[in-house]
Amino acid sequence: MPKSSKGNQKIVATPSSEIKIKINGCWRNFELGRDIRPNMTLSFFLRENLGYTGLKIACDEGGCGACTVIMDGKAVLSCMMLAVEANGHEIITIEGLQKDDPVVEAFAQQCEPGYGTALQCGICTPGFVMSTKALLEENSVPTIDEVKEALSGHICRCGCYAGIAQAVTHASEKIVKEGESS
Amino acid sequence: MNQPYKKRPGSNRKFVGGYQPRIDAWEKARGKVKYIDDLTIKSRFPELLYAKVLRSPHAHARIKKIDVTRAEQLAGVVSVMTYKDEEFASLRPTNAGWTDGVDTVSYDRMMWRKFIDRRVLGDSACWVTDEVGAVVAAETEEIADEAIRLIDVEWDVLPFVLDPMEAMKPGAPQIHPEITLNNILPPDKVGGEDVFMDKGDVDQGFADAEVIVDGTSIHHNATQASLDNWCCVVHWTDEKLTLYSNSYEADQSRMHISEMLGLPLHKVNVISSYVGGQFGRGDTGEQPFFLFTAVLSKKTGHPVKFRHTRRESFHDSRQPSIYYGKVGAGKDGIITSLYFKSIGNTGAYADHSIFALKFAPKEIAEVSFAHIPNVKLESYAVYTNKLPACMMRGVGNSQFNLIFGHVIDLLAEKLDMDPIDLCIKNFGHKWETLPNKSLTQVLKQGAEKIGWKEKRHKPGRGPTRDKVKKRGVGFSVHPAWHAEWQEVRRGRIPVSITLNPDGTVILNAPTVETGTGSNTCNVLGCAEALSFLNITPEDIHWNHVVNTETSLKDCVQTDSSVSYLQSEVLAVAAKEIKKQILERAEPVFNVKSRELNIADGHIFVRKNPDQSLSVKEVLFQDDLVPIVVTTSRVPNAKKTGVPYFANFAEVEVDIDTGKVDVLHLVVINDCGTVMFASGAEAQQVGGQVMGMGEALTEEIIYDEITGVPLNFNFIDYKIPTMADMPEIDPILLEIWKGAGKYGACGVGEGTLTCTPRAIMNAIYNAIGVRINDIPIKPEKIIRAMGKA
Repeated sequence: MPKSSKGNQKIVATPSSEIKIKINGCWRNFELGRDIRPNMTLSFFLRENLGYTGLKIACDEGGCGACTVIMDGKAVLSCMMLAVEANGHEIITIEGLQKDDPVVEAFAQQCEPGYGTALQCGICTPGFVMSTKALLEENSVPTIDEVKEALSGHICRCGCYAGIAQAVTHASEKIVKEGESS
Repeated sequence: MNQPYKKRPGSNRKFVGGYQPRIDAWEKARGKVKYIDDLTIKSRFPELLYAKVLRSPHAHARIKKIDVTRAEQLAGVVSVMTYKDEEFASLRPTNAGWTDGVDTVSYDRMMWRKFIDRRVLGDSACWVTDEVGAVVAAETEEIADEAIRLIDVEWDVLPFVLDPMEAMKPGAPQIHPEITLNNILPPDKVGGEDVFMDKGDVDQGFADAEVIVDGTSIHHNATQASLDNWCCVVHWTDEKLTLYSNSYEADQSRMHISEMLGLPLHKVNVISSYVGGQFGRGDTGEQPFFLFTAVLSKKTGHPVKFRHTRRESFHDSRQPSIYYGKVGAGKDGIITSLYFKSIGNTGAYADHSIFALKFAPKEIAEVSFAHIPNVKLESYAVYTNKLPACMMRGVGNSQFNLIFGHVIDLLAEKLDMDPIDLCIKNFGHKWETLPNKSLTQVLKQGAEKIGWKEKRHKPGRGPTRDKVKKRGVGFSVHPAWHAEWQEVRRGRIPVSITLNPDGTVILNAPTVETGTGSNTCNVLGCAEALSFLNITPEDIHWNHVVNTETSLKDCVQTDSSVSYLQSEVLAVAAKEIKKQILERAEPVFNVKSRELNIADGHIFVRKNPDQSLSVKEVLFQDDLVPIVVTTSRVPNAKKTGVPYFANFAEVEVDIDTGKVDVLHLVVINDCGTVMFASGAEAQQVGGQVMGMGEALTEEIIYDEITGVPLNFNFIDYKIPTMADMPEIDPILLEIWKGAGKYGACGVGEGTLTCTPRAIMNAIYNAIGVRINDIPIKPEKIIRAMGKA
């Protein structure tokens, strides 16, 4: 389940009020007040100020998982974090994934009979993809119960959970195979 | 690995009905698809302002005095407008159901024109959070919110009523006295009288019946819960009005704006892109927000954005209703008399109430009860001070199936008969003799998959596991909708195929892509129709943006039927494409086009097939102007009946805690023709989340003392997650066939209509006590078992 990092994180406020965040591989500097208001959520900042609209703000209160991004390797709900809390950390949004990312590919390609597709309207998909990325980074061969545990903080109202579970399995297989051949 | 479905014997389809990814799957999986909120971030509209509307804190109230001075003085506020401003006072009252229909209609032709009960911005509020009195445009949403809080209102607080049974009583508060004095919607032309169907003689039928059962069922209000919150941006300049929206119908929105704001149609441009889920959302009391956003845009000269918060996006739901049902039959199980009466909680505004309560049940009776001599249907839609809403996936059908599946189960038990046999004996449409082939196959194959014969036992008489757990199986069945003949009201459905000289295709079959998969159906249908060109779906580009200035009229995403409606028209367009290719080939082959033919992407002389050139070779010798065929066709009106679908459920009930675990769901749809197998299965599997949620956990809860809705959020309103869902087996059948080339039928809504009743009957089979009020929360089980 994506976790809010609220409460377990130090805010390193430099005297110049400079905020440094590594976003999709590049460190970027922002000025507190000018670029980031203290009350700005990370989700708002990433979408409205930086244009990373892959993450969605659907509930804005940690109830649906659509805003999930990866921070320091963990899936986090960006609507439950302030942008300033990302200071000094690495954030990956769905825009930061490779074009042929095995998780993205598995979500896109799922059509195995009996499970439906892994997405329909697609609005929850980036969140599911990011949580799956974080899960498989940590545990490349999860059991179905582990998959359910990891993804149960997400709502897919189109209800593609069976297709999503298949996609996670296929992504896991591909990652393991690639690991063996490299 | 599950087995693919079995195609109709003899069908020879290359693309239609295939298992493959959606055409937009990569874009969506990569997060590249732009929804309305993505398209309208401020960096794309630097001048953007944000709108907010005043919401009523009372269930029923009128504004006595309003003072916006403090709001206007707040820095960052650009405009505050009230219902007293001429721009609002001059607008005609409307019905919120107007903008939610299969066809584009003008003000005078709106479906529920008898129930014009809503102002775009008025002084009266009919439920807690009703939009009323004032709107604000400000530089940020936070400022707009703050400005709304600074509006001083003196309310005339009126008595209110939440329960439709109370609202019908003499002396109850009158909610729309201009329409009704007893809160019951009066009979209207579309829905008919209170008794809207009366075939044969029901009373005599019951008098003559050997067995009679009756019962009630109550359906509460689940919400659509699309993750894509309602949103629009309107820019109204001197030149024209542009609306970006995530409404699922563009052309109807254009008509709505044109008729309400007095702009000619060519001065209104509606643009829709991908929508993150629809599920019937669309007829809420919230709809006029396009209009007040437009008025604010004109007033300020800026583009203005209005978007719901998640909590506001709860302002739409299925219509709650109470049904009573009675069945009379002979000892042989032949049903002779059927009577259903419903009372619907219309809520604060009428919108599509009558659709759910009369229109849909009438169609069900027509296609399913044709062989039953005595049928009477009666209904009352009642205004209350609750959320006004109605349209949700499976509108009216879900509520009707809840009682229908109930009385069937009751009757079968009393007759000591298998309910499957009972259904096969009785139900079917008038266009064929019983037993109905589709119904029979749907039930037989579903029963086999769930293990009906082995698992079904006398109610409550199965073994007890782990000392407290009881298992049971149940099902419910329903006629599908919609076949082509039921879609005639749409009028002409236009499509356009552009064949480029290199053999690739641009497909203009506009519909707002809400996730249904109809876009992939269109591409597969187009590839199939053009298979003489030897093309694949990858050679076809489907344009996902609907723009009323440049697109054809969009085929509205309702009735689950866009999946095949446009494909039927594409089959016609493809014939014309073929004809025009051959005409262009005349000078190249130097023969008349009738002497030419095309197969596998090659044009050849009929009498001498060796004389052949590829289509590309021929078109490249021409002027390189693409061949464009635009055509339209009204859906085929030939009455063919409809196929059936069913859901089977196996549950385990903990009789100590009342918790229900659904162990297995089988969802089985006769589609006529499967247009896109992976998409249809996604609908089947996906629909169970909504169906199971409605059955067990999903319900909008009110504080009955104040009328305040309490759980407009995803924490307290429980939608099933991946961890909650059981194993689901989707089964697709091709038994029935409609008119047209494909003869398909809608699937999406027919995946969840029976789920709640299937689960309820399974619970009864498990514990031997009936609970007929969904959602079935643990406390209801405990109470029913006499433990609380």
